[in-house]
Amino acid sequence: MSPRPGYVLEVDRSTPPTLFWHGEGYRLERLPQGSRVVYAPEPIEPLADPVAAVRHALDHPLGDSQPLRSLLRPGMRLTIAFDDVSLPLPPMRRPDNRQLVIEQVLDLAAEAGVDDVVLIAALALHRRMTEAELRHALGDRIYDAFAPHGLLRQHDAEDPSELVHLGTTDQGEDVELSRRAAESDLLVYVNINLVAMDGGHKSVATGLASYRSLRHHHNAHTMRHSRSFMDQHRSELHSSNWRMGRLIAASGVRVFQIETTLNNDAFPEQFRFLQRREWEWSARDRAAFVASSAALARTPARLARSVLHGIAGPHRMTSVQAGEVEAVHAVTTGHVHAQQLVEVDGQSDVLTMGLPYISPYNVNSIMNPILVACLGLGYFFNLYRGRPLVREGGVLIMSHPTRKAFHPGHHPSYIDFYEEILAETTDPAEIHKWEEAFATDPWYVHLYRTGHAYHGVHPFYMWYWCAHALDHLGAVVVVGGEPSTVRRLGFRPASTLADALEIAADVVGPSPSVTHLHAPPLMIADVR
Amino acid sequence: MKALVFERAVARFAAARVAATLRGSGHGAAAGPLRMVDADQPDLPGPAWGRVRPLLAGICGSDLATVDGASSRYFEEMVSFPFVPGHEVVGTLEQPPDGSPLAAGSRVVIEPVIGCVPRGVEPPCPACAAGDTGACQHLAVGHLSPGLQIGYCADTGGGWSAAGLVAHASQLHAVPDGLSDEDAVMVEPTACAVHGALAAEVADGACVAVLGAGTLGLATVAALRRLSDPGQLLVGARYPHQRSLALELGADRAVEPDQLDRSVRRATRSLRLAGQVTAGADVVVDCVGSSASLAASLAMVRPRGRVVLVGMPGRLHVDLAPLWHRQVTLAGTYAYGLEAGGRRTFDLAFDVVAAAGLGRLVSARYPLERYAEALAHAGAAGRRGAVKIVFEPGQRPPRQVPPDERAPRTVASGAPRPAGGRSGAGGTRRSGTRKGRTP
Amino acid sequence: MTAARRDPDLGAGRQPTGRRAWSASAVTGVGRLARARLRRATRPAPFPWGAPTWPGTVARPVPSSGLGDEYDTAWARRYPVRLARAMVTDNLTRPAVHLLASPLVRGAELLDMAEAPVVIVANHTSHLDTPLLLSVLPDRIRHRTVVAAAADHFFDRRWKAHLWAGLLGAIPLERNRVSRRSVDEATALVEDGWSLLIFPEGGRSPDGWQQELHRAASLPAARTGRPVIPVHLAGTHRILPKGGTRVRRARTTVVVGAPLYPEDGEDARHLSARLETALATLAAESRTDWWTARRQAAAGTTVQDARGPDASPWRRAWALGGTPAAWTGEHDSSSAHGDGDPRRWAVRRD
Repeated sequence: MSPRPGYVLEVDRSTPPTLFWHGEGYRLERLPQGSRVVYAPEPIEPLADPVAAVRHALDHPLGDSQPLRSLLRPGMRLTIAFDDVSLPLPPMRRPDNRQLVIEQVLDLAAEAGVDDVVLIAALALHRRMTEAELRHALGDRIYDAFAPHGLLRQHDAEDPSELVHLGTTDQGEDVELSRRAAESDLLVYVNINLVAMDGGHKSVATGLASYRSLRHHHNAHTMRHSRSFMDQHRSELHSSNWRMGRLIAASGVRVFQIETTLNNDAFPEQFRFLQRREWEWSARDRAAFVASSAALARTPARLARSVLHGIAGPHRMTSVQAGEVEAVHAVTTGHVHAQQLVEVDGQSDVLTMGLPYISPYNVNSIMNPILVACLGLGYFFNLYRGRPLVREGGVLIMSHPTRKAFHPGHHPSYIDFYEEILAETTDPAEIHKWEEAFATDPWYVHLYRTGHAYHGVHPFYMWYWCAHALDHLGAVVVVGGEPSTVRRLGFRPASTLADALEIAADVVGPSPSVTHLHAPPLMIADVR
Repeated sequence: MKALVFERAVARFAAARVAATLRGSGHGAAAGPLRMVDADQPDLPGPAWGRVRPLLAGICGSDLATVDGASSRYFEEMVSFPFVPGHEVVGTLEQPPDGSPLAAGSRVVIEPVIGCVPRGVEPPCPACAAGDTGACQHLAVGHLSPGLQIGYCADTGGGWSAAGLVAHASQLHAVPDGLSDEDAVMVEPTACAVHGALAAEVADGACVAVLGAGTLGLATVAALRRLSDPGQLLVGARYPHQRSLALELGADRAVEPDQLDRSVRRATRSLRLAGQVTAGADVVVDCVGSSASLAASLAMVRPRGRVVLVGMPGRLHVDLAPLWHRQVTLAGTYAYGLEAGGRRTFDLAFDVVAAAGLGRLVSARYPLERYAEALAHAGAAGRRGAVKIVFEPGQRPPRQVPPDERAPRTVASGAPRPAGGRSGAGGTRRSGTRKGRTP
Repeated sequence: MTAARRDPDLGAGRQPTGRRAWSASAVTGVGRLARARLRRATRPAPFPWGAPTWPGTVARPVPSSGLGDEYDTAWARRYPVRLARAMVTDNLTRPAVHLLASPLVRGAELLDMAEAPVVIVANHTSHLDTPLLLSVLPDRIRHRTVVAAAADHFFDRRWKAHLWAGLLGAIPLERNRVSRRSVDEATALVEDGWSLLIFPEGGRSPDGWQQELHRAASLPAARTGRPVIPVHLAGTHRILPKGGTRVRRARTTVVVGAPLYPEDGEDARHLSARLETALATLAAESRTDWWTARRQAAAGTTVQDARGPDASPWRRAWALGGTPAAWTGEHDSSSAHGDGDPRRWAVRRD
């Protein structure tokens, strides 16, 4: 049976309650009659033999690139950069796409006798990966061959000796890149394109860049004009990255881009009800839901977190393409759309969503309030093409406990951002004046370079990520969130979904139309 | 005439301590050595003394510690029993001292420290001779009973009394007409804060952190802002109303106390090492006086910086390794006297109270008869959204009031209303931000 | 800092004042008193009840260290110690090794057939090699085996010397300089009926590839004429590599080769060369299979192959990765590779 495409359900009297994620747990909520629920397409078939597919892609590159084999020669400098721990979500079961691809790239390099090879985790301003995370992404074989010799590095955007300024684009944007990557004879970048935003020129121009370079597109103005940043043709974020990418290519950096896509089979067998339509839940699914939701509700948040972060998704590679960046990315985007696109007819007054325990920036960590805002207003709100799912001036209702809890090791600057900046303003345009101070704070820089901390400026980026949604929406309501925390974020707290809909009605008028985004699994709503 | 008297009674002292431990600060009043008695007016010790009938008398952190049996034994020999507590007093001058320019019936604020001059010590000690009474060396001698201040001395009476008290001519300050009673009762604690703020020796543009935002902390913020020019004035305050008051009074940033070191670190762009902010604030003013607050102060002051103890400490257990290694100056500040510019602290305090409108810190007024309630309210002031609780010794409680209307009279200024009895009961948390105390 | 440290004895005699007798200071006072008493009780007794102090004007003779190759291990071969060691090895070390390394032994029958005493030589990549090898030896050999261990590493402290001699039956072998004494000792032990376990590379390989052999390692066999059994260990490098601090579970393969008999008059240099070829052949066999290894040995490239490619560290590490037991731990074999045997994953890439 071939996988079914996405589906938009209209809620009627006989519709069972709808699953809402709620942080480290989930619950069933009854949506008002006439609401729409947008379901993601079912997982498409993965590649039967990913190893052979990778080999084929390396030998038959797209665009004007030569096969990888012929680009390798003894005595050259080869750098392999790869996506960091923020992708994919949840982390995929071993072997990870990065391992499948890089092992073959290295086999070719070994055959060709390339001695000078360095692997770089393209962190940009994210936290450094732990050994376990690197082993998970790359496999033990690569880790043990490279890490002991210092050849497995993590991009350090604060090491001036490891950065090189390549120039400025015609819009005056600085392009500053990892020196090793820029001065290599060949830079191979290995992507996992979980959503349409990932990949393309953004891989190198963002992943291996520094604050000096990133600030040109990670700001309130750009994000406000990225509608959405999941749609690269209407995204100022991408336009800026594309300008930078072309400058990088023009300055002689040779990039061999490898992009892989995944299906959206995000949860393992025992949690499959999370990605099934409620009316199709079997007795087993219902039992699993009742048992797991009750258990998670009674588990301390800390334990529930460690259980959920231990889940590895069974998603598998659905395509792999290699070669010249833009040619590769065009094909990749097609594959992402094939899995994720759902046609939705028209906007609604209210958009509801349940936010899960994980976002790109809290893998094996705590989802702090700022990341809650970013996941809801940044990521989920932007999962559209064409028009947002909610009309301008509409209301977004998200369900998440929104506890005031931070991981002090991973998110040190977030705490100060929450306590000092958000206490004064929640306007993405206004917070800009503190950005520089956070970005250059020596303690954050120290923790970013030596610990596992996100860069000092990162919480600002999270807030910029929300800029488009904050501009567009009339109000944001958080169901079941800690009221003081929710208010600090500038949102409105509600204890139940019914209350939230009442609050929404105050903003958008009585009997509003409601759409529920039944994610994860991820999808892109193609709003007509 | 009703008065509250504190007697020497070891068993009741222990009971107060137990009650305070079990039920929270301020609850020592019900069980302890504080009693309501019918008292006569104290005798005038000499011709230079006058009689003052209190209008408002504040409850200070040190009063609470005394009532709860929790004050340091250090003070044991500096008080004489039985005494009437209350040293933050604004009152009416019933009988002016001989030769005083003050008219009978005018409002006065008491400067309660009893130095050499009121004690009749001749010649006075060098500090008193200079006017710096806070550093007096003759606290327990002379013709008066021992007692470091009015409110701790058996012979003078104190503010918590309808019978009034006696004060020496040198201890009386006329209240300007523009100043309300609430403002005036804040002058004495503000004088302590002024003295602390000046002892901090804040250089222009310096980073100053104030830990604790009870009466003393908030008054210190007001004094620091008005008497010096700190570049950054950061306040650690536990309760939301304290934070908003701190901001109103001139703080640049008010955060929860456990976040203060983070704010200091960010303001000074320091690193961290061994739990310390490596650079840190130039001056930290500790308005709490607990082990935790002193440890936190030492953790956020810069090397060769200054930690000023304004809150009254007791026996503390603190690791002084950072003090030694970072060459920090730890300065104690008690009471008031003469400041560096030659002005009396009280004169400066009058200015600060008027400029900052510190009368707003007075949150509730109680008649003497309801002293147990008043002290419990003061003990839980922060939690109940209050700052300064005062007695109105002249007022009698209305008879037979329905229980739900028995809320104290609230002061209708910018101060928050007291939260009522709802959250008053229950144990208090022992930690770093108890109300600051001044003796 | 020392100046600031207070002398705890100073306040010891002072009684806590009566007024504060109930307070915490009284408790610490009692503690301080007790500590002072204890200190006094454990202080060395003065002369003549205790040892005399040495006059500063008289030169002190340098005592023999008794460490390194001067350490006498005879005590560790006495019956009660051997019995205790056998108990520990059989009941603790072996199960632990099997749990950690799950060794697959090829050619175990060669060990069974061997006639003790023998000299067992093996490649060396991990501290785990010794317990692993001991745990796959037949009982009769295992309980009468001494292990040659680096004198400068295992015998440099008295406690270490006691520990390794007692626990493993280690004897010190000098690897950095010529030392007749340690070789003589090993030879004597073999003549005395003890089997000898020796790692002729003279230390753990830094990257898992075979290193050049120390000739001295062949001397005991060459002198006594006892058979030498070459053994190749694969996989221990991944459990605990040289310089590693973390132990990970992995599979290991132990390949036992046919015994080499020293020919009459054969010198250690020649035996050492034969041994190197034998070990390299076993390494190839461990990577591939017995027949392929034979054919490679016939072609004469085995030793060079065993030493690894002359390339950058990553390529040496990469080339080492293809052994069958490798990297199988957490592969999801069902999906990507479609077969039940996780080992095919690694085989396929060759």
